[in-house]
Amino acid sequence: MSTQVHANLTDEQVREISSGLDEPEWLLETRLEALEALAELDMPDVIRTPGRDWTNLHDLDFETLVDPLDAAEEKDQVGPDEVEVLPWSEAIAEHEDLVREHFGSTVDPQENYLTALSTALFSTGTVIYVPEGVDAEDVTIRTEMNSRSLFNYTLVVTEESSSVTILERQATGSEDVEGERYYSGVVEIVAGENSYVQYGSLQNLSEETYDFTVKRGVADTYATVNFVEGNIGSRLTKTETSTELAGDGSETQIVGAFFGHDDQHFDLDVKVWHRAEHTTADLVTRGVTDDTARSVYEGVQDVGQDAWDTSSYQRENTLMLSDESEADASPKLIINNHDTEASHSATVGQIDQEDLLYMTSRGLTPELAQNMLVEGFFVPVLEEIEVEELRDDLEELIQARLRE
Amino acid sequence: MSSEQDHLKETDTEARFEFKKEERAAVKSEKGLTEEVIRMISEDKDEPEWMLERRLRALKQYQNMPMPTGWPGQPDLSELDIEEIVPYIRPDVDKREGVDDWTELPDEIKDTFDKLGIPEAEKNALSGVGAQYESEIVYQNMQEQWEEKGVIFMNMDQAVKEHPEIVKEHFMTTCVPPSDNKFAALHGAVWSGGSFVYVPEDVTVEMPVQAYFRMNSEGMGQFEHTLIVAEPGSEVHYIEGCSAPRYGTHNLHSGGVEVFVKEDAHVQYSTVQNWSKNTFNLNTKRAIVEENGTMEWVSGSMGSKATMLYPCSILKGRGATDTHITIAFAGEGQDIDTGAKVYHNAPNTKSTIESKSISKDGGRTNYRGLVHIADGAEDSSTAVECDALMFDNESTSDTMPYMEIEESKVDVAHEATVGKIGDEDIFYLQSRGLDDDDAKKMIVAGFIEPITEELPIEYAVELNRLIELEMEGSLG
Repeated sequence: MSTQVHANLTDEQVREISSGLDEPEWLLETRLEALEALAELDMPDVIRTPGRDWTNLHDLDFETLVDPLDAAEEKDQVGPDEVEVLPWSEAIAEHEDLVREHFGSTVDPQENYLTALSTALFSTGTVIYVPEGVDAEDVTIRTEMNSRSLFNYTLVVTEESSSVTILERQATGSEDVEGERYYSGVVEIVAGENSYVQYGSLQNLSEETYDFTVKRGVADTYATVNFVEGNIGSRLTKTETSTELAGDGSETQIVGAFFGHDDQHFDLDVKVWHRAEHTTADLVTRGVTDDTARSVYEGVQDVGQDAWDTSSYQRENTLMLSDESEADASPKLIINNHDTEASHSATVGQIDQEDLLYMTSRGLTPELAQNMLVEGFFVPVLEEIEVEELRDDLEELIQARLRE
Repeated sequence: MSSEQDHLKETDTEARFEFKKEERAAVKSEKGLTEEVIRMISEDKDEPEWMLERRLRALKQYQNMPMPTGWPGQPDLSELDIEEIVPYIRPDVDKREGVDDWTELPDEIKDTFDKLGIPEAEKNALSGVGAQYESEIVYQNMQEQWEEKGVIFMNMDQAVKEHPEIVKEHFMTTCVPPSDNKFAALHGAVWSGGSFVYVPEDVTVEMPVQAYFRMNSEGMGQFEHTLIVAEPGSEVHYIEGCSAPRYGTHNLHSGGVEVFVKEDAHVQYSTVQNWSKNTFNLNTKRAIVEENGTMEWVSGSMGSKATMLYPCSILKGRGATDTHITIAFAGEGQDIDTGAKVYHNAPNTKSTIESKSISKDGGRTNYRGLVHIADGAEDSSTAVECDALMFDNESTSDTMPYMEIEESKVDVAHEATVGKIGDEDIFYLQSRGLDDDDAKKMIVAGFIEPITEELPIEYAVELNRLIELEMEGSLG
């Protein structure tokens, strides 16, 4: 089944975006092909159980949401001197070969309707290049979205034995934009041999914003790709965070936290593909749903036939604060090699009534007691976050939500 | 161990399952599925008009429904051609409702069930036994003491005629309607044979009731229907065993099981299926559990080429309880996709699911589960535990639980682990003098013990023996 064809998107618009960024011909071609493919492509997979799609992307009116030539943003792209943190047009000018080699290498531009839409229309981006042996911390990218739609692209390439810590934030600016919005982000991480990438993301978009992101890393031999995924804002988020462990001895940790209230909907997809020997994955997600918010969690640990000596663990816990909220979970194990130690677990529940009683009997108001228990619920996830700034920011956003 | 148990243990299980009999049918339908075939089945059974109408309605639904496709990791059904399946074979026996004495059966049928050990099992404290050969029940017996208490155990075809009011109310109406899925609709159109169990209020049937299903002919489909009605406060344990010899073409088994667990009633439903490895096993099994009722599913899935089976409990009344204990073993060329579904639709309901699977020589096992907790089902809890054991990297073991939680005052936990047989465990057992094969068998026996201890001893022995058979020959 193909989705809606974008009647109001044209080759000319794509050419205008591409030439505005001084892009070479091959990239324009990639964009145009993606645009053309929209007619054939379907939405990203969502979980379906009989009679029900867990997230309905088909209802979104992309014709209205997407305004390709009117993108506006505020962006900070900073990092230490020894690593290159380049805005998109600079990256094209200075490192075209590098970009050409890796663009679309972990996320296929035509993987689905939304990745193709992103490829055709992205107008802002960042390339982070970490040369061999360099250790870099504190790379930060802040994107403030000030238009109806914004398409963002991030490419991270680390050379052998380097390391980098990146924190990317998405928020909506104060500019007046009427009605609903759409944010789309594609993040590709190519981690070279024995390199280490820690990529954190903090999504705090306005609650009129539909958010689609895919963040995918490929880890070479002995490389590590770690993700931190914080989701607070947006009306609907559909996001995939995933790592392919392609080299022997590679590792990944994916830590996620979300907090949904009002009628927010989070569809979180966490995946790891074990494709080499002696690889390790640890997936940890905790989230809270309040009011009529809904969370959909799918976690996949896929162990390939040649992935000898695999260790793979997954935990997901959801706390429901309201009867009107819903929490759906499906942690999946796909195991094709028996030399595997794998487990997954998922729980859904409410705040422990005994804990609450204990705290109120010590003089706390029920509201304060509940807030403290929710904060406590997030602690095991926060503890896994190595980057102090990200940990503090996430904690603050959680606290802010509890005070609302 | 008693002599009966010794007998069962020493019997050559492989020979018992593999032999086939020359086909001898009194009535055999054409291949495929047409209105004529449905009318022929109904007429041959001398059914009332209302049942024929239900069959024809189900046929229409079947024709309008798509095959299940697009499930992640779904077993391949492309080789299943329903137009090539013979849906109905009435074996050539004199008495239609089944004899109540084994000696009255034609020799080759009697011989079949002798080899399967069914008369032996009956001697061992069973309340009643039914045996189905192809499409019809050929033997049916119920101990008198239970009959006197009003317990009914008869074949389903007979129940349609003798207890129309109970059957009319319960048969594929609320529990498994034909509209549920393509194979439920198919079943509704061509069903034949199976068991009807009715337990009156407050009666406890202390010994298990057993039915055994045997498919003998090549390219046939077996569509037995089991309907169990347990009135308030009653208790019964129903066991079914299934087998079929191997054939070159594909057989289809698409049974339907409906269980009504009324208030405070308790039903245990145990299955050990060992269909031949050319059989598509596409069953629909469901229970509706009323207030404070308890439903227990115990199943061992060994045979078949592909199985898609997710026994389901709908916890409809406050305080209803469900337990699922399942084991699946997939060897070469087998895809066993099985699990459990539970709908918590009332407060204080509780479910536990324990699933064990073993995959070997390229076999695939999958736990596919669905736990749904409806808004308003407060203080409900569910715990799902899946463990998978894998023998080699040709095999596959997947776990795909789905949890839909619409109520906050609940306790939901799912856990799954996958691993190979521990080298240390094997080393330990070898150091105590066991060889590699025996060490592995012992570890597997320990792994499946939670299942076997739920089954009567004959079935437990049978299950162990089947698993040993699967493991023999290709180890080492």
